[in-house]
Amino acid sequence: MECYVEHIACHDNLKRDPKELIPDAALRRRMSRVVKMAVSTAVESVGGVEGIDALDAILTATGYGCLADSEKFLRNLIDTDEQLLTPTPFIQSTFNTVGGQIALLRHNRCYNLTYVNRSHSFEDALLDGLMRLSDGESQRILLGAFDERIPSADRILTRMGLGRKGELGEGATFMTLTAERTTDSVARIARLDFPSEPLTEAECLARYGEEPTAELIYAVDGTRELYPTRTARLVAEAARRLSAERREVIIYNALLGGTPTVIVVRWVG
Amino acid sequence: MRIAVTGLGVVSALGVGLEENFAALVAGRSGISLTPSLLQSSHRIPVGELSLSNEELHRRCSLEPKGHLSRTALLGILAVREALRDAGLTDLRRVGLVSATSVGGMDLTEHFFRLFKEDERSGRLRDVRMHDCAASTEAIAYHCGLGGYRTTISTACSSAANAIMHGAKLLRHGVVDAVVVGGTDALSAFTLNGFKSLMILDEKPCRPFDESRAGLNLGEGAGYLLLQRAEALQRDPYCYVAGAANSNDAHHQTASSEEGEGAFLAMSEALRRAELTPTDVDYINVHGTGTGNNDRSEGAALKRLFGEQLPPFSSTKGFTGHTLAAAGGIEAVYAALSIARGVIYPNLGFATPIEGFGVAPVTTLQRVDVRTVISNSFGFGGNCSSLVLTQQ
Amino acid sequence: MEKLILELKEHLIEELNLEDITPEDIDAEAPLFGDGLGLDSIDALEIILILEKNYGVRLANTAEAKPVFYSVKTLAEYVMANRQ
Repeated sequence: MECYVEHIACHDNLKRDPKELIPDAALRRRMSRVVKMAVSTAVESVGGVEGIDALDAILTATGYGCLADSEKFLRNLIDTDEQLLTPTPFIQSTFNTVGGQIALLRHNRCYNLTYVNRSHSFEDALLDGLMRLSDGESQRILLGAFDERIPSADRILTRMGLGRKGELGEGATFMTLTAERTTDSVARIARLDFPSEPLTEAECLARYGEEPTAELIYAVDGTRELYPTRTARLVAEAARRLSAERREVIIYNALLGGTPTVIVVRWVG
Repeated sequence: MRIAVTGLGVVSALGVGLEENFAALVAGRSGISLTPSLLQSSHRIPVGELSLSNEELHRRCSLEPKGHLSRTALLGILAVREALRDAGLTDLRRVGLVSATSVGGMDLTEHFFRLFKEDERSGRLRDVRMHDCAASTEAIAYHCGLGGYRTTISTACSSAANAIMHGAKLLRHGVVDAVVVGGTDALSAFTLNGFKSLMILDEKPCRPFDESRAGLNLGEGAGYLLLQRAEALQRDPYCYVAGAANSNDAHHQTASSEEGEGAFLAMSEALRRAELTPTDVDYINVHGTGTGNNDRSEGAALKRLFGEQLPPFSSTKGFTGHTLAAAGGIEAVYAALSIARGVIYPNLGFATPIEGFGVAPVTTLQRVDVRTVISNSFGFGGNCSSLVLTQQ
Repeated sequence: MEKLILELKEHLIEELNLEDITPEDIDAEAPLFGDGLGLDSIDALEIILILEKNYGVRLANTAEAKPVFYSVKTLAEYVMANRQ
């Protein structure tokens, strides 16, 4: 199974303001920071809200979901001894909020699913996308991932031994998947794999590399932006690195221990 | 390729296991209690709670009570083990798991956070390490010995139905040899207060599809099915997953549209995929939460799809309460038993049809040949999913 | 009454996150729901909380609240009549 990738957008590189990207003020005003960040990124990636109309599947992935609103609701319920709680943070804490809001912006009734599987969430959503394209059930899929950083989670992760080196981060990345190559294709996802055990660099290149210049990039690479769905951003990074000289980038993800995932991204010329 | 249901496992307020659940269903005995007894909450409100503490659940799973697994994981382990035993599967190396949850380890996080909130150095880390949704999936896979691909889906109250749909797809694509699919959710103060803040919790036992309905009762539990390719089977399965569909109502963040557009699309598409028509349906296990909005919206979708030939339908939420991400799993188990044992369950709490609506659920147990069942699960974010299970 | 109306408008703007709207922008007699400010059922729940938290005024459900919630003015009248 393989697919082509178009229009990758990352939250920290948006050309337009969230207010422009999410024109519906009634929806926008209730959005938490991460929901606004993710939905804005999604809308920018499809070139404005009208772009949502052409989608026939919306796949979202998140490792931890809407942490700030979950914490807010939990804090309120303890502080008030369960009295007079405002419903908005509870509603927004739901993991499928982002996928639901994207659909709601244009009343798009297509297939809509959210994967919440730690550092594999993005890859799991990608697998669903690949299967749908291969079955001919979808022609144009919005695939995206988001995770937010909040002080409490930082504190807890640090106590668990993560983040001591200041490597925790957050982000939202969205892209469109198609079965056929289009004039907008920026890369081809040639393979997605879930190997049953960790691989060395040599093993990884031997197993997945087809080009002599194949480059391997790691989800854990010492940069200060670790979060569960970071591999979505690495697809953007891979697309940026591809060229006539570097026709293949392999993303190896062994974040947070567990079994790894491998995404092979190839140049489309 | 036909996808067969070869094993079932369920835990709910009706009890642990298929037989305790089925006995209560046919006896018309609700599992809803007037107030929570284990859940720590100041709200004295009906819930569908399983009367086993976390410590007792650890023992039932033959695990150290100090294991500190979340209640969501424990309920899941019990149900998944039953489904595997039921199917008699022994080689689990390439058996996958698609598990749904919406609260994850929130029951433990609530403990942790009370302490953490006062002093960020306090609260035991073992009480927060199961917070995320995937933690329950990992614990279930580990303690049930499942070695194949696994993932976690969270689309609010439609989660487990989507997990079942996704598992069937993984089988068709050969990602797994067999797959356990379903969902698990424990009661938590977080969700109880969440639904309370939305003012959709009934202070009495819920009354799905009744004119006087005033909201839902929250429940807890887990329901899982083992799916295998029909060609590989040694013995007759319970039923087949003939069709499934996921659609988005795209109407409002929490409310369903008056005309039930998402529900209509999900049911019609699931039937189309099963190559069946509305007249083939013998029973619909409706989402039927008992909220004013859901039942009216779902009822409108039923009328639109089936017209005057509406087949027998009932909601089993009056037995279990609304078990959120587990509901689609628990109700798919009930639907599979409906086919395998030829029964249609009564809809508890119904007396008077919704005014001007003219749809009434089944109120007494029916023993009839059931060949095709639709199971509906709808949720926040507009997510609507329908499954079609068939005898052949 | 004028003071209460202004106060209610400020609560609405704050609690419902009404972006770029000042109390002067809200017509006290215009409908809050539907065409007016475009509020919905979730906002209705938030308004019930505003009344209860700030004025000790309780409304059991959104159905009972319908005529009360027509406009800022009807809200103010209800608060005047029922506040503790």
